[in-house]
Amino acid sequence: MQILYHFIVAYLSVSLLVYLFREKRLRWQISTAIVLVMFLLRLFLIK
Amino acid sequence: MSRHTVCAAGLLLAVVVVCVVSGLRFRSMHTEDAIYPDGSLTEHRRLSDYFPALQGSAGDTDVYIFQGEAAGAGLLILGGTHPNEPAGFITTLMLVEKTQVVQGKIVFIPQANHSGFTHNDPFEASPQRFAITTPEGKRWFRYGSRLTNPVHQWPDPALYINPSGQKLAGAEMRNLNRNYPGSRTGGLTQQVAHAVMELMREEGIDVAVDLHEAAPEYPVVNALVFHENSAELAAVTVMGLEMTDLSFRLEESPRNLRGLSHREWGDHAGVFAFLFETANASHGRLKGRPSTALITEGQDQYYVKAARLGLLFVPFDEKGIPLRGRVARHVAALQALLSSWAELYPLKPLEVQGWPSAEAIAAAGVGPFLHPPN
Repeated sequence: MQILYHFIVAYLSVSLLVYLFREKRLRWQISTAIVLVMFLLRLFLIK
Repeated sequence: MSRHTVCAAGLLLAVVVVCVVSGLRFRSMHTEDAIYPDGSLTEHRRLSDYFPALQGSAGDTDVYIFQGEAAGAGLLILGGTHPNEPAGFITTLMLVEKTQVVQGKIVFIPQANHSGFTHNDPFEASPQRFAITTPEGKRWFRYGSRLTNPVHQWPDPALYINPSGQKLAGAEMRNLNRNYPGSRTGGLTQQVAHAVMELMREEGIDVAVDLHEAAPEYPVVNALVFHENSAELAAVTVMGLEMTDLSFRLEESPRNLRGLSHREWGDHAGVFAFLFETANASHGRLKGRPSTALITEGQDQYYVKAARLGLLFVPFDEKGIPLRGRVARHVAALQALLSSWAELYPLKPLEVQGWPSAEAIAAAGVGPFLHPPN
């Protein structure tokens, strides 16, 4: 169960990371970074 | 390199910094609180010694055993069942550092729900730590959650039916004081409850006390809850406390409220089971901004207003209800319980030395009675 949880959060974190570098508008990049913080904290079970 | 790539790299660096700083701070909740037992400690064990499946888990916790020279009764004192009720934990910790048993045996578990000390309740803005000032400096202690950390026990069911058959909200599956008598094969919290029951059997416990706190607006506060098998002992204890001007509400454990220590300990381990409650403003729903001062000093303007409106079950003025007063109340109740035991059961003595008086704690605070920080 925990491996599945990690896989889902890791997949979404990588997707956000890719989006962060593709996005050209600064406002959307900042929004992505804020969400990425929460996903990375979840990924390392800091919650 | 394009401008948006530079921005992305900068933001990624900021993300990493935020994650590392907040992560390290949060992971520090897993650092153990230091406890320095009195030199008369007979045995330092772990809860997993009584139920080996707990070994290496977040539910395993320290057990301190003080055995007197002469045989007598066995007393178990549990703190930290709910790690967001610090008076229970601090009272137990202070007594571990100040106990010398002459006759009988006292077993202490200061952090009964050890996992609950590793996190806070979401959305409560509770401080992660609070300090108590000793003459040699400050000692810091964790302020945890009422429930087991979901990292250690997850997921919660929508509806929880506890080992005694009581239907509860799903999150109560992580509440140690809803999980007695526990289960060998259940979740971590049920296993901790099972281990406590095993400890009582193995150590020959006669009397068991679970130290708690509750919100000032909760009816069962400044109270002594007892199993019906302990009615006489409870009544004599409260009469003794009344003579020292400490008023305690006497509450019999409801027979249809299952899973609680004061119910299942009496039913399943045959011990005289008690639960003590003090009033803690930092625990309540009417409080203002949470802070370490609210935990230790217990002053809150909204509780003063609530008291004026007659909404509370304890007196509450601008002086508040500080931690020193709450710990003093727990110690007074324990001392009264020991006196009552000596009066009612003289053939099974339980005598202890070294405990500070409730008056001294209320006047000087807890700090002078704690081991200095290392």
